[in-house]
Amino acid sequence: MKDILTVMKFTIKDMTKRKSFLISTLIILILIVIGFNVPNILKAIKGDATKDKLLIVDNENIFEGNLEVLKNADLGYEIEIRQSNYDEIKQKINDENIDSAILIERQDNNIKIRYIVKNTAMIENVPENIVSNINAIYTNMQISKLGLSLEQLQSITPNFEFLLEQTDEEKVNGNIFAMMLMSLVLFYAIYFCAYQVSSSITTEKTSKIMETLVTSTSPTTIVLGKTLGIGIVGLLQMILIVGTALISAKTFLDGELLNSILDMSSITPYLGVVTVTYFILGYFAYALLYALTGSTVSKPEDIQSANTPVALLTVIGFYLSYFTMMNPTSELNIFASLFPISSPFCMPFRIMMGLASTTDVIISILILIVTILVIAKIAIRIYSNAILNYGTKMSLKDILNMYKTK
Amino acid sequence: MGLILKNVSKTYVGKKAVDNISLELKEPSVYGLLGTNGAGKTTTIRMLLGIIKKDEGEITWNGKKVDRKSVNFGYLPEERGVYPKTKIFDQLKYFAELKGMNKIEAEESIKKWAKVLKVEEYMQMPAEKLSKGNQQKIQFMTAIIHNPELVVLDEPFSGLDPVNTEILKNIIIDLVKNGKYVIMSAHQMATIEEFCSDILILNKGKTVLQGNLKEIKESYPANRVEIDVNQNIDKIIKEFELEIENEKNNVYTIRISNEEKAHKLLSKLVEEGITINKFEIKKPTLNDIFIEKVGE
Repeated sequence: MKDILTVMKFTIKDMTKRKSFLISTLIILILIVIGFNVPNILKAIKGDATKDKLLIVDNENIFEGNLEVLKNADLGYEIEIRQSNYDEIKQKINDENIDSAILIERQDNNIKIRYIVKNTAMIENVPENIVSNINAIYTNMQISKLGLSLEQLQSITPNFEFLLEQTDEEKVNGNIFAMMLMSLVLFYAIYFCAYQVSSSITTEKTSKIMETLVTSTSPTTIVLGKTLGIGIVGLLQMILIVGTALISAKTFLDGELLNSILDMSSITPYLGVVTVTYFILGYFAYALLYALTGSTVSKPEDIQSANTPVALLTVIGFYLSYFTMMNPTSELNIFASLFPISSPFCMPFRIMMGLASTTDVIISILILIVTILVIAKIAIRIYSNAILNYGTKMSLKDILNMYKTK
Repeated sequence: MGLILKNVSKTYVGKKAVDNISLELKEPSVYGLLGTNGAGKTTTIRMLLGIIKKDEGEITWNGKKVDRKSVNFGYLPEERGVYPKTKIFDQLKYFAELKGMNKIEAEESIKKWAKVLKVEEYMQMPAEKLSKGNQQKIQFMTAIIHNPELVVLDEPFSGLDPVNTEILKNIIIDLVKNGKYVIMSAHQMATIEEFCSDILILNKGKTVLQGNLKEIKESYPANRVEIDVNQNIDKIIKEFELEIENEKNNVYTIRISNEEKAHKLLSKLVEEGITINKFEIKKPTLNDIFIEKVGE
């Protein structure tokens, strides 16, 4: 145990003292802070007018001045209504004085409304809210001309109550954006931390320090100490990144905007504890597999191809979780939350969505722990025999022989 | 007591790497382990250090079966290695702690050996900034920093300049004086002859020669004669049908099959009135014995 702690402490110290590690972590944190400040930066550059400028031109006064109500309709535009012509509008858009314009003209018996932007590459149709608001203004204008009574007016004005309901008995909470974001963070955190184990072992092999190391302590101690050390650094790095993101979001983003993107009510301490637990267990499972592959190569250029099977397994686990998330009550999603290669990425969402019972979580964690123990037994045995083997990259047959060797 | 290997064997995927070898190191001294590349030296060393398991036989240290924990050993592997980006002091401390030293003991030992090996100025530098020779001295420090009872040195002098070779030689002599047991593997036979009291020569995993070096050499008949004369004696040597191994400025090394021929040659030189500065009948060197035993 003392040796495991010594290896762990050395690994932590060695990793955190590296300039590359410090600089990359600092860059990630700076990018996060900058990312959450993009609206503020845009505001500083453009001034307070962060809303797109929309010019409405009704030269023939077809809407009889009623378009003024659009200014208070919260359409997301800074609206100006005045007389103009197409050429002048074109000039203003090209000069970036305005972002878009609506030109209302009568053509025979029809009313032609043109929505003019600089380029339609990013726009397929006229924005729905503009269409519906202009339609509503025109309808109200015509109805008021008919001189209808209040009852008549109410009878023709739709007063429907639209409700969203599901046939599944299980109620789903949270929002998909937050879940996908969390899935990605977990995937990258587990993938990159576990990969570090492989890279660290190959470095020890290529620098020939391994021979000295295995005479100083047992291979099991080296694998466990190294895995723990890198895991702790990875966990701290993840906490630092997520913490910086959450603090930046709360500090720099508008509260309403933040709530519209992330349902903060579903982020609970229980979810935090379970997510960290799945990070640790998922990391251990993949790190031990990477320790195995890392020990089978002697040259840094072989590490990528040796790690490919484990990388594929990680990606399959992630996508199994990611795609079944679209249909969270499906049996495949339940399977993904229990299957050890995907459960670290999947179960935290099911908890966030309120779909996972405590029993589900316990069963999933137990399956993952048993898997880790099996992987550890195989990985440590192969690692112990493979670390002193120098030469070309091992084939699957060689690796199996390594497992059989006492 | 000391180190005893009894009928030890190891097989790798159908190939016998070490076949039934035995050796004893009963008192503090340097034991030479010799052999060509792939003869089984490294496998033997790894087994006696408990890094790999033997298939057959017994290895004991002071009567107890050897494993990684039971022997306080130091090891300088043939494959030199250091953490390239880590400060020398940090890596030495790491290995000292893994070998059971506490922080204070480790730091004191690092200071002591850094002074002896003249590497004090490199302690706060990453290993990649050191020359190969200095990196080797650091690895030698790793092997002895925890005051081990048994030290295994695989090619300790390869790559070192004469000054550093001398420093290391003195340290090895001191280790033996201080009651340490040393096993040394080297390709330079002169080094083995200088240090080792006992040797074991391996060939293809098998012991081909073993015992006290002095006794082994004594058991071999003389095989060459060195003559320093003041004129060319090629013609006389040819008359005796002897092979000239080397000749420079009338100093000859001549191969002989027995001492009688050497005596006859000496009589002839005296008879011819040739001035003889030196005439020495020589026993075979360890190099000769090694080549005879393992040469194809």
